[in-house]
Amino acid sequence: MKFTTLDELRAWLNHLAQEHDLIAPRDVDGHVLYRPVASSGEILFDYERPELSTKDYFLPATEVLLRTERRGGDVTLEEVLPDRKQVLFGIRPCDAQGLTVLDALFLQQEPPDVYYRHHRERTTLVGLACPQMWEGCFCTSMGGAPDDPTHLDVLLTAVDGGYAVQVVTEKGAALLEGLALEEREGEPPPQSLPPQSWGGPRGGAPKPVPVTPPEKWRALFEDGLWQRHGERCLSCRICTYVCPTCRCFDVTDRVVEVRPGLTRIERIRAWDACTSTNYRRIAGGHNPRPTKPERLRNRFYCKFCYYPEDFGPLGCVGCGRCIVSCPVNIDIREVLRDVAERSGE
Amino acid sequence: MSTSGINPLRPYLGHLAGVKDLATGIKLFQIELTESEGQAAFADYKPGQFAFVSAFGAGEAPFGITSTPALGPTLEFAINNVGHVTNTLHQLDVGDPVGVRGPLGNWFPMNEIKGRNVVVLGGGIGGAPLRPVIHTLLDHRADYGHLTILWAARSPDLLVFTDEYDNWRSASETELHLTVDRGDETWSGNVGLITQLLEKVGPLPQSAVTITCGPPIMIHFVTLTLKKLGFTLDQMLTTLEARMHCGIGKCGRCNLGEKFVCTDGPVFWQSEVAGFLESFL
Amino acid sequence: MSTSEEITREIRAQARELLESGQVSCIIGYEVGSRGRARPAFVHDADDVERLIWGPDCVHNLTVYLHDFKKPRKRGEEPPHVAVVVKPCDSRAINVLLAEQQIERERVFIIGVACEGVQGRGDPSRSPNLAARCIRCGDRVPVVYDVLLGEPPEVPPAEDDYADLARIGEMPPAERLAFWLHQFDRCIRCYACRQVCPGCYCTTCMFERDDGLWVDIGIEVPQKYMFHLGRALHLAGRCAECNECERVCPMGLPLSLLNRRLAREVETLFGYRAGREVALSPLLFELGEEGSPI
Repeated sequence: MKFTTLDELRAWLNHLAQEHDLIAPRDVDGHVLYRPVASSGEILFDYERPELSTKDYFLPATEVLLRTERRGGDVTLEEVLPDRKQVLFGIRPCDAQGLTVLDALFLQQEPPDVYYRHHRERTTLVGLACPQMWEGCFCTSMGGAPDDPTHLDVLLTAVDGGYAVQVVTEKGAALLEGLALEEREGEPPPQSLPPQSWGGPRGGAPKPVPVTPPEKWRALFEDGLWQRHGERCLSCRICTYVCPTCRCFDVTDRVVEVRPGLTRIERIRAWDACTSTNYRRIAGGHNPRPTKPERLRNRFYCKFCYYPEDFGPLGCVGCGRCIVSCPVNIDIREVLRDVAERSGE
Repeated sequence: MSTSGINPLRPYLGHLAGVKDLATGIKLFQIELTESEGQAAFADYKPGQFAFVSAFGAGEAPFGITSTPALGPTLEFAINNVGHVTNTLHQLDVGDPVGVRGPLGNWFPMNEIKGRNVVVLGGGIGGAPLRPVIHTLLDHRADYGHLTILWAARSPDLLVFTDEYDNWRSASETELHLTVDRGDETWSGNVGLITQLLEKVGPLPQSAVTITCGPPIMIHFVTLTLKKLGFTLDQMLTTLEARMHCGIGKCGRCNLGEKFVCTDGPVFWQSEVAGFLESFL
Repeated sequence: MSTSEEITREIRAQARELLESGQVSCIIGYEVGSRGRARPAFVHDADDVERLIWGPDCVHNLTVYLHDFKKPRKRGEEPPHVAVVVKPCDSRAINVLLAEQQIERERVFIIGVACEGVQGRGDPSRSPNLAARCIRCGDRVPVVYDVLLGEPPEVPPAEDDYADLARIGEMPPAERLAFWLHQFDRCIRCYACRQVCPGCYCTTCMFERDDGLWVDIGIEVPQKYMFHLGRALHLAGRCAECNECERVCPMGLPLSLLNRRLAREVETLFGYRAGREVALSPLLFELGEEGSPI
């Protein structure tokens, strides 16, 4: 197997940081977040699951789409796309799988989203395998695994004395050219272990979570389970914003500067959430999803029925963030188990 | 830095060529596109399609295109002043710059319904996407059967395209019926809901197709009344409204179940709508 | 002090009686959640009352759900009657909602529970680890209730010593601003703080307007700064200090510092703390004699 030490890795990352936007897990006031880093000294190498996904670096929470300048009757438009290459270091396999899920809509559905495409093209994903599953994790039920290299360019796995390095794509190979690698005896860490062999937060592997196919969801649209789970929802946006695959966004203009003869405007898009009360309110005041159970139902149907029917992959990678951050314990695993039971699986 | 290929979120530039008052709170905007890419994109749009009109500084919003290419390169939109973007548009003067993105969505299957009788039902601002349907029918009058237009509004001052009614009426094999929920001292015509007018007029379902647009509740009750008159859902066309932000199926806003109003619609047969997992109501 | 098991039994008995008699159509209480901790529960059926529990992890302020029951279920009907389980901090919020005419007293059956604090990470040396808000809470028994379960604890009411506020207050303005901008940088504008708050019930929040009149949709520090300070100002004199906003924040923003700062300001100016007593109207709605608190 290819092997490198932590010191070599650090030196390589320091070098990368000079020419690239380097994004890696950091401690931010006690919270582990994927954030820009200027040097490897800021990077956490020993962490569980960053509290937010890597979505922000491909579909930013706030993104300027167009810079508009208006001079009298003349308007010029300019797309805003950063020039630099980007490296996402320490990305967990579930977050990388989340990007593949978003690709199915933003890249593969015509017309492609030029901004998302630009960020995907300029970014290399260097993943770090999870040694175990964390609180809420159920990636193994969603077609993933804590050490799944599939959606990455490079996968690092911690081994004795350093890291095993698995090159997954040519893009990954190109990025690794500056990293000192040695060949070591032994097989690379075993991959794609059966789900039940992974350790969880309390020792044994988490219970598998049943995933009911989209066709069977249709019959449950009016089922009472949506009321049971939805009535305690607060209609906040936590689950949507921490999720690697939720992608709804809002678009608006804002005036950023007014001078005689010149107005500068930005057209921006920002994250939005279908859980929010007025999300679907239309001109005239009508809201087809006025209650919390209806909005909650839409979010789950989008993930497990609409997204796969329309675009292919399931809209969930089992990262578990929504489970640990929902203030009222709406648990996607519980919902999936109820759906499986109610659809007679 | 520029993008390779087309950016579907970037509007084509144009300016306001004309503004007319259409009804209380509703104006007709005439837009000329100034970029050749925009002119090419809109060379051949179809009735039922929509476009996002940008009021730079406020934002953009989707509107049914109310003109037809037969009228010339100018695009027309009937816009109700109900929110931030529409309010900003209403304050524009002729000559002011605007942006247009489109044409988006699907369209009314005007070729497929040739030879059939057509019943057009428009409520309020819902008449905007129906006007190009009527124009197409009138422009190719011989290709279609009998045309019945039922046109309604909450009050007389909210009726749209009043200056065209004589034109519509005087076409061959064409009847126009108007109604308002509430009359006023200028009004001597029908007073009542469009559903009541529909029952009174009683169009026959044989070889007919209906095209309805208006507020969701109006579409709902018109559908019920049409069924009473013997029409089946696969004879009924409608165009649905949903809040949209991108119009190209990415932002997730306009879904009704697994359908997106912007890409699977906005035009649907009622037989499709009946099978929707999620109601538009 | 009654045990959790005793109070659990009493809640279930009370709930059964209220549902069977038809006095209420729903009990808003707590149940055991999927992660072994309490979560809000809505019991609509007398057969379901065994779901209801009480314990030191019943941290949620359930009064926020009273806003969901203001409208009738069906046209032509009256709004429903509900019962809600409240701790002392939660009950203060009910007084605020009553003063603001958001709920009708007759439609809410208040099941009050005496409380010596819920679990939290306020001070690791205490057992059970008490939430910070409980360490400084001055109420042991709900301030309004229809029935009181559990014996008033022997632990005396605490006083808020505002030590954490003092630390912020001692910072020079530039440092204080830097502190808060740093906190707001972590905010993801999820609005959980607003959604969990019983006092935030505007149908359209001024910070979520379609026309972006006050802030645009960007999830950036300027908008988040406006939102948090604006929300705190809108709660001045109204915040019941249940501290749910701080508890639910996924990014650990110390929001209680803002609300308590303003609550103390209002108390200094008007001698008034929201929710302690049944008030006839919100604080700033009444004109008083010169020199009187209101």
